[in-house]
Amino acid sequence: MNPGFPYLSAILLAPALGLLVILLLPHDNRRAVRWVSLISAGVCLILSIYIYAAYDRAAAGLQFVERASWVPSLGIFYYLAVDGINLPMVLLTSIVFFTGVWTMWDLQHRVKEFFALMLLMVVGVYGVFLSLDLFFLFVWYDVSLFPMYPLIAIWGSTRKEYGALKLTLYLLAGSALVLPGILYVYFQSGLFTFDLVQIAQAGLPVEAQYLGFFLFLFGFGVLAGLWPFHTWSPVGHVAAPTAVSMIHAGVLMKLGAYGVLRVGMFLCPQGLADWSPLFALLATVGIVYGAFVGLAQTDLKYVIGYSSVSHMGLVSLGLATMSVGGISGAVFQMFAHGVMTALFFSSVGHIYDRTHTKLIPDLGGMAKVMPRASFFFILAALAGIGVPCLASFWAELLVFIAGYQAYPLLGVCAVLGLVISALFMLRVVQKTFYGEKNERFAAAPDMTPAMALPRALLAGTILLFGLLPRLALDLIDTGVAPLVGMFK
Amino acid sequence: MTPVAPNGGELSLALLAMGLPLLSFFLVFFVTRPRVTLSCAVSLVCSGLPLLAAIWLLAGHWRMEAPILWELTWMRGGGVAVTFGFLLDPLSLLMLCIVTGVSFLVQVYSLGYMAGDPGKAKYYAFLSLFAWSMISLVLASGLMQLYIFWELVGLSSYLLIGFWHHKFSASQAGKKAFVMTRLGDLGFFLGIIVLLLNLGDLSILGLNQQAATRLTPGLLTASALLIFCGVVGKSAQFPLLTWLPDAMEGPTPVSALLHSATMVAAGVYLVSRLFPFFQGSPQALGWVLVIGTVTMLLSSTMAMVASDIKQVWAYSTVSQLGFMFMGLGAGGYFAGVYHLTTHAAFKALLFLCSGVFIHHYATNDFFVMARSGARSLKVPMLSLTVAGAALSGVWPLAGFFSKETVLSALAELPNPAWLWLGLLGAGLTAYYTFRLLFVMWRPRRTQPPAGHAEHGEGGHHGAAVYWVMAAPLLVLAVLTALLGAAGPALESFLAWGRPLPPGAHHGWLVAASVVVVAAGAGLAWLEFGRAGAAQQGFLSRIPGLWNLFANRWYLDWLYRWLLDHVVYGLFSRLFTLNDRRVVDGGIDGFCRATLGAGWLLSLLQSGLLQYNLFTMVLVMALVGLYFLLV
Repeated sequence: MNPGFPYLSAILLAPALGLLVILLLPHDNRRAVRWVSLISAGVCLILSIYIYAAYDRAAAGLQFVERASWVPSLGIFYYLAVDGINLPMVLLTSIVFFTGVWTMWDLQHRVKEFFALMLLMVVGVYGVFLSLDLFFLFVWYDVSLFPMYPLIAIWGSTRKEYGALKLTLYLLAGSALVLPGILYVYFQSGLFTFDLVQIAQAGLPVEAQYLGFFLFLFGFGVLAGLWPFHTWSPVGHVAAPTAVSMIHAGVLMKLGAYGVLRVGMFLCPQGLADWSPLFALLATVGIVYGAFVGLAQTDLKYVIGYSSVSHMGLVSLGLATMSVGGISGAVFQMFAHGVMTALFFSSVGHIYDRTHTKLIPDLGGMAKVMPRASFFFILAALAGIGVPCLASFWAELLVFIAGYQAYPLLGVCAVLGLVISALFMLRVVQKTFYGEKNERFAAAPDMTPAMALPRALLAGTILLFGLLPRLALDLIDTGVAPLVGMFK
Repeated sequence: MTPVAPNGGELSLALLAMGLPLLSFFLVFFVTRPRVTLSCAVSLVCSGLPLLAAIWLLAGHWRMEAPILWELTWMRGGGVAVTFGFLLDPLSLLMLCIVTGVSFLVQVYSLGYMAGDPGKAKYYAFLSLFAWSMISLVLASGLMQLYIFWELVGLSSYLLIGFWHHKFSASQAGKKAFVMTRLGDLGFFLGIIVLLLNLGDLSILGLNQQAATRLTPGLLTASALLIFCGVVGKSAQFPLLTWLPDAMEGPTPVSALLHSATMVAAGVYLVSRLFPFFQGSPQALGWVLVIGTVTMLLSSTMAMVASDIKQVWAYSTVSQLGFMFMGLGAGGYFAGVYHLTTHAAFKALLFLCSGVFIHHYATNDFFVMARSGARSLKVPMLSLTVAGAALSGVWPLAGFFSKETVLSALAELPNPAWLWLGLLGAGLTAYYTFRLLFVMWRPRRTQPPAGHAEHGEGGHHGAAVYWVMAAPLLVLAVLTALLGAAGPALESFLAWGRPLPPGAHHGWLVAASVVVVAAGAGLAWLEFGRAGAAQQGFLSRIPGLWNLFANRWYLDWLYRWLLDHVVYGLFSRLFTLNDRRVVDGGIDGFCRATLGAGWLLSLLQSGLLQYNLFTMVLVMALVGLYFLLV
């Protein structure tokens, strides 16, 4: 379709090349390591923005396709393509990756290893989002998960070994369900191909979809923070260093939801129909439950962690509605939440670096000490409580409408979650940033303009997509509409 | 009525009014913030031009035939489309003038009031944001657009109420305002979803024309009541009324803005905007009437015991809003809108006057102000008296006429009790207003008057500041005096210039209300005004009632209790425990069990030869035994 330049391979290769170069660099050349990481992230960002803009919304469907047979005897293909569903995810990954690298500019401890692992993780993330081959998708999925363990255990804080171990075990347990799911689908389809599109077009036997969707729902659902398999995520967020929290909450959790959508729902639409009441129930419990637990937290990062549980519940609820509005809302929410939560963690990261605490009772009055960091946190909090003209408002709007239409009772409960989330976000903002100037940290420096730039990029994205939601939704709709056609 | 498209002039004027404040917000907040004077200038220009545009539009459409509609698609996804645009008709044009007028005056006044405040530029940015949200709300062509800006109005008032957020009480009040109005907004949001799913059309014109015929009565009532929930939150009606008195923690000009033309007025505006829709459901209107009445009486009693000048006006706002809802609930569309108009003028004036005193004497207690010599500030004192008289409904000020229209609407109801309750409210209003005025005019010099040098910043600013703050007062005072005469003209304007149905004229009603107001004012004279009055009020002799009123009927206490014991104490604590003990505990237990099982099995692999041999022999013996026996 687009013979020309292989943009998607280039996106995949840029961090991989960066990784190679970093491995070849001498240990003590931190400057070079940082610049290589930033340049590879910048290349990804530019390419992502380009394909986001160049994607033909009228033609829709899969574009920028690159397909080559890899292992013909097993039906494995190197198959990359984008449509309305993964394109926003690719853009999200690039934004978070780029700002994450920039945020970690001042890292001093084992710089080379840190950026190498981070790049490896990002290669995996791009691989999952871009691949339409189940074999590759699974391989990339595991590539993106395993660097988390060293990243948290070495550079983390607050119970880092526990957090890293818990996260790794949970996510591996999830992939222990995904792998059998993929093999089950591979054999049940009777096509002996891992090509996701081909299997989806042929359609699986209805009885196979029931078990298939179950495996994908809970396998990927763990990573999406589906209640009650969510407890790894706040613990992991808290323990991880700033950029890792950003990528972890901003992008990795989306991998889970994306997996449910791209693999589970594309391959097993009938299975979704069977499981959707349970799916919607767990999602709604997650929304309300996450908000209530967040209310009781005293650690800034825990608060954000539980708000992620609540917001990812909205993604799940949107997916479970099986309607264009709900699923579009869910995809947009993945994007909006990713940017928002990255902004959260990068602001908290600054505060933690300068004050060495992220306990809310120790802080207070930070707005006078660090006006820039406070501004970014408060903006993210406002986005988190669904203030209009910030990106997540539109996503939540669509999810709530679709949720109410499909499950009126659950929809009402989910909407009630809005008040609780407003309460806990504003409570955190008040206790952390408002109040008399905090003398204890009076000397703690605010962000320099150079370090405020990546945060400003995130904040600008939130505002841009909030003021012009069609920028995303017109695109997402083209990807979701054919999927919903499969439910009928 | 079929809407027409705007011509070029109308389009550019309306977009100018909607766009400039937003431009000003971004410009001031992100660019000019370090330069205070420039920021104020940008903000003033960007709020003055919309006012001119509004007046121009109103004057040009004094005899309009059909509403003017312009919209574009803001968001489209999954079969839901949200439009952004404007709808110009008499109601929105009138409201546009009120909003832009009050916000411009408040911005001028703030030049003086906020002089020397380190956050002045940011303050002006927030005022612009507030103006933008409110103007776009007023001009909204669809319910979804209205809801979006409704939320943004809530956000702006959160930012402005908590503007001095280094004070705990201010940040607390901002949070309370946001969360309590958000609680009501849930209903609004659900109401919109119900309408969207059952009607598919959220345009205001469509709702007003077709909802009554296309929806079943049950759905119509349900959606109207859900939407009214949002109004209850925003307009601080019972039971969500306690956020508004706290909201005076913000700078006083913000209170003036909040209490007169924006935020709380949005609720009354919404019911008026959708009045034909509400009329389709008599039950819904009945609830509007009940809530309005309860609110008016409750908040009047609270105002009777307050000694904080801003608090008195805050309670009176709540009660006057209740009065407007009584008018609307009784079917008096014009009554509600007219009272909203006059109230905007005199309530803004009351707050701005109070601001001068507060600024000057650095206290909110009007007993203290009076003792310190508040009478000597002539312009604010006279304006305060004019506005207070208008609030109590003294002829020939604006409040008298608008109150009269509301009472006549109540008199049309079959049950006379509503009218009596309305009159009772009018009497209470006169009592608490004159109580304050008499205290201010006739201070008891029990203590030596405190000079303002020891009270703070007041005296240092000089005449320029005083006149910047006094000029808006004079404008508003003139409006308060004159708006009463504009009643008939406004009524015919709001009715699209059509001849009005001859309303029953209740001559005795005028007499009754004059008597009631005189009684209230007279009681205040006896207790606070006449020479030798104790200035304590009859309520101080009934401690039970005094405490009930002073504690806001224990509504705050109830909310605090619910928050502490239900939200935090029950749900939050239980869910957190569940997370730690059950979910995490289960997983940790599982992990420990795995480790334990591994340890147990590892005992088998001891590496000692004799045990291995022993096991081998044992197993062989057991196998042999099995074959022997089976």
